[in-house]
Amino acid sequence: MRRSSLSVAVIMALVASVLLSACTRPEPTQSNDAPLNIGVTTRPDGLDPITVAGAGTPFVLLYNIYETLVKVDSDANIKPLLATEWDVSDDNLVYTFSLEEGAKFASGAPLNAEAVVASFERARSESATAQIRDKWGPVDTIEADGEHTVVITLNRPSHAWLYDLSGPMGIIADPAGFADINTTPVGSGPYVFEEWDEGSYIQLKANRAYWGTPGRFTDVFFRYYSDPNAMNAAMLSGQLDIISNLTVPQSIEQFQDESRYTIHEGTTTGEVVLGYNHSSEKLQDVKVRQAISHAIDRQALVNAVWAGKGPLIGTHVPPTDPWYEDLSEHYSFDPDKARELLKEAGHESGLTLDLRVPVLPYAPPSARFISEQLKDVGITANVEELEWGRWLEQVYGNHDYDMTIVAHVEPRDMTAYAFEGNYWAYDNPAYNALLEEADIAATEEEQIATLKEAGRMLADDAAGNWLFLLPSIIITTPDISGVQVNQISLSFDLTMLARG
Amino acid sequence: MVLRRVLVRAAWLLASLLLASFLIFAVANALPGDMAQILLGTNAAPGEAEALRERLGLNRPFLVRYLEWLGGVLQLDFGNSYIGNRPIGPLIAARLEVTLSLTILGMLLAVLVALPIGAYAAARRRHLDGAAVSALSQVGLAIPAFWAGIWLVIIFAVQLRWLPASGYVSYWDSIGQWLLHLILPVISLALVQGSVISRYVRSSVIEVMQEDYFRTARAVGWSKTRALVRHGLRNIAISLLTVIGLQLATLLVGAIIIEQVFALNGLGSTLLRAVSGRDLGVVQAIVLLLVWSVLIINFLVDVAYQIIDPRLRRAAEAR
Amino acid sequence: MKRATLYLGLSLIGLVVLLAVVGIFWTPYSPTAMVGPRLARPGWPHLLGTDGFGADIFSRIINGAKIVLLVGIVSVSGAALVGVPTGIFAGMKRGWAGEIPARLADILYGFPALLLAILFAAALGGSTWTAMLAISISTVPAFVRIARAATLQVMSQGYVEAARLSGTPSPSVAVRHVLPNIAPVLGVQASVSFGIAILAEAGLSYLGLGSRASEPTWGRMLREAQDYIFSEPIQALWPGLAIAVATMGFNLLGDGLRDLLDPRLRELR
Repeated sequence: MRRSSLSVAVIMALVASVLLSACTRPEPTQSNDAPLNIGVTTRPDGLDPITVAGAGTPFVLLYNIYETLVKVDSDANIKPLLATEWDVSDDNLVYTFSLEEGAKFASGAPLNAEAVVASFERARSESATAQIRDKWGPVDTIEADGEHTVVITLNRPSHAWLYDLSGPMGIIADPAGFADINTTPVGSGPYVFEEWDEGSYIQLKANRAYWGTPGRFTDVFFRYYSDPNAMNAAMLSGQLDIISNLTVPQSIEQFQDESRYTIHEGTTTGEVVLGYNHSSEKLQDVKVRQAISHAIDRQALVNAVWAGKGPLIGTHVPPTDPWYEDLSEHYSFDPDKARELLKEAGHESGLTLDLRVPVLPYAPPSARFISEQLKDVGITANVEELEWGRWLEQVYGNHDYDMTIVAHVEPRDMTAYAFEGNYWAYDNPAYNALLEEADIAATEEEQIATLKEAGRMLADDAAGNWLFLLPSIIITTPDISGVQVNQISLSFDLTMLARG
Repeated sequence: MVLRRVLVRAAWLLASLLLASFLIFAVANALPGDMAQILLGTNAAPGEAEALRERLGLNRPFLVRYLEWLGGVLQLDFGNSYIGNRPIGPLIAARLEVTLSLTILGMLLAVLVALPIGAYAAARRRHLDGAAVSALSQVGLAIPAFWAGIWLVIIFAVQLRWLPASGYVSYWDSIGQWLLHLILPVISLALVQGSVISRYVRSSVIEVMQEDYFRTARAVGWSKTRALVRHGLRNIAISLLTVIGLQLATLLVGAIIIEQVFALNGLGSTLLRAVSGRDLGVVQAIVLLLVWSVLIINFLVDVAYQIIDPRLRRAAEAR
Repeated sequence: MKRATLYLGLSLIGLVVLLAVVGIFWTPYSPTAMVGPRLARPGWPHLLGTDGFGADIFSRIINGAKIVLLVGIVSVSGAALVGVPTGIFAGMKRGWAGEIPARLADILYGFPALLLAILFAAALGGSTWTAMLAISISTVPAFVRIARAATLQVMSQGYVEAARLSGTPSPSVAVRHVLPNIAPVLGVQASVSFGIAILAEAGLSYLGLGSRASEPTWGRMLREAQDYIFSEPIQALWPGLAIAVATMGFNLLGDGLRDLLDPRLRELR
């Protein structure tokens, strides 16, 4: 068979050449000149955090490319960033920010009061997302006072506002680049934007002209994966230096080898909520909602769904917020109690509810677990898995559901229950009043006390069932330092990251 | 006569392309949850989606939008993507390189492996080794390609660390890296294709071996191989042509799954992303590209047969 | 040895059918209930171990057989019901009337199952039913082509010609003469399509476009096992094996039938 032996020879040659080139593959050097490869699963829909919703955008851009006037440290204290200091008037209405004089944009343009005003005005204009506009609600005027001072006047005192200014709503962008801001962002951060290969990666480069300590890495790649297992394989095969968030915690064992990997486990601000449609007749009775809370063994759920890695919470507050209280035992796992409550509510003969969940890593497995446990107390949960777009339309938009599961990743988002027309149709005037009261409170202590009360109110009312808090599981090679263990902002902060 | 048949067939092709484009546009626009809603995500305020819809021009009549789109397509203008707001044409062209690399190398490897294996299985079909080779192709047919891909990654990328687990390097940047990154995905894809093709090769070789001319050649003392190469190649080539044509759709679509396993940013990954982001312009463009290329290749294979011998195709298809 | 392929295929299918029939009436445990410790290795009482939720894998495999057969039967018979009459019609009619259905089938051929399923899952939600619908539609053209080609062959036979000339109406010719003659070819096609349908469902489940958690198909199990692929690779073995066995069964059956039908090839084995 001359023909076939020829093909065999061709294949052998091919294989051999490939293996040879594999052997000569350069090993990544250990210096900061070697690119930093970060695996990510949440893709951005655009590069402008002001006009594009979704967590993928600030994850890459915030603090790395764009800076804000203030920044929140790991103890939840508000610290200076582009503002060296700020004065607050006695009535808590006028904020005067002094800007860092050495700061400038990557384009070379000075970062002055005018640029700050332009950035902020854009962020509260019609083009911004509703959520960001909403956060600018307490602000009345934004004015430049000379080259390096910005004066912001509020229409009512607000604690949340200054905190939120550390997030996407407060980014300062080069006004000259507003036109192309969704594809080529220009900010003042330690890294500059280099390239976005949509769906594949975003490349950043160190900002050599940075006003502070420049980025340590010459090149940083945020690489995107649809299949989290493919991301794991890439890390295991040495293609990645960092997994920014392990969304398959079951695989954590694979990274136990300390000579090759370091596991950084912390918390996030992502509450996984079993949400109820409060306009659904069956769920209007608080007893039914409480029964569901009693019927679900949340620790067992976390064990099955998230490898036991997420802390339990009892209301919509993560442990990193100052008004956190441990309410995780507010509803004990008690099927008998659940059955009793259902009986009191008149559902002795059983209850059927639709559980419509989006296809996101945590949701369908949680739904599987919950429907099994609800079966025990006489509730039939019809699980339906919806592709994200369908979920947005059916559940989020049209409120056509009884129960759903989704994680709320925004920091300090208790306000979601107070929004008019929120998708849970939760409408509790007493709760709304508490949130307002907290925001205009004269002192921080007062604010914290009031928000604690609000958190308890949500729990008492079983407004939702907070299944667990998404953990932050970051895997790095052992030589990476400066990893932020708790993911308390929307940013994957590269500022402190270095090799060695 | 042949020319007339080809012309008729070409007219059918044009009608098919047109009808397919209409179907694609209709289905894509019937998807629930539109772009406006997705862009706003879980932050939408009441009325905001409606305003955005107006701005994106999603509120105009269906037929008007279809004709406008088709007009653009014919001038190779697919509009802009919503995500990233880039022209769709160049965007797809970049992804096409990934998918084409994957499918072409996959088909090439499949044919290279399938030819000798199929011929061997045919020649030794009454022996244990020949049967074993046939059985092997059965196994290749029965294993999900993505499953094989996952195991290949575990063995060659994770355990042995010989090859990269995922990603793509452009051919123009580095041929070595390009090939290196494609080895595992190409093998996963070729596993199934190779099995399919080897079965076609086997039966067409068996067929050749029963022809009188083959028996005559053997009778005058030619070796099996020599007789096969001299007389059988044409027959086998036709069979190969058919199967490649028929398998093309399977291959392009199989690539969608393989792209996910190996995090390759090709047409398939882009399509899945565009569907979930309701980036309709991109969805329409990619589906149109895939469907049209299948239809056109089908047409070309058909024409090739009209020229060679129309009866052959039916025989090949019935196999 | 002569009909080894056929018998091997039949016995593999028999195994799957047996599991499915048993699964209708009884499984050792509920296939979705969390009955044991999580991720137990194969042993007693969980023959194949338990999954990440503590559900019995053996029960899930048995239950999955049922759904896999359902997917195959519904999608293949759906495709045949549409495709075969269309193909026969196209084969019997001369000219434009015969050409149009054949060309429509060609257009459909341009829409592979996965492409349809991606669109359907977005439009209707991913479930076993949308997967079946997509697989079914994409299988139609194969039946149209095969039926048409076979019909053309039958039509050229003398007795069919005679029946037509004697005035027997076309539908009657189709049912009495054409269908019985092309049935074996259709059987081969059905068997092959069945195998393809099983694989397609697995692929769709991998992409998250297939069955839901409440209907644990083998594809779905494979998808779930993938999360444990590095720590408990055995989880991915069982559903993968089940898929391979079933697919191989139908492929072998198809091959065996084909050999039976083609006497020229048969005498060689």
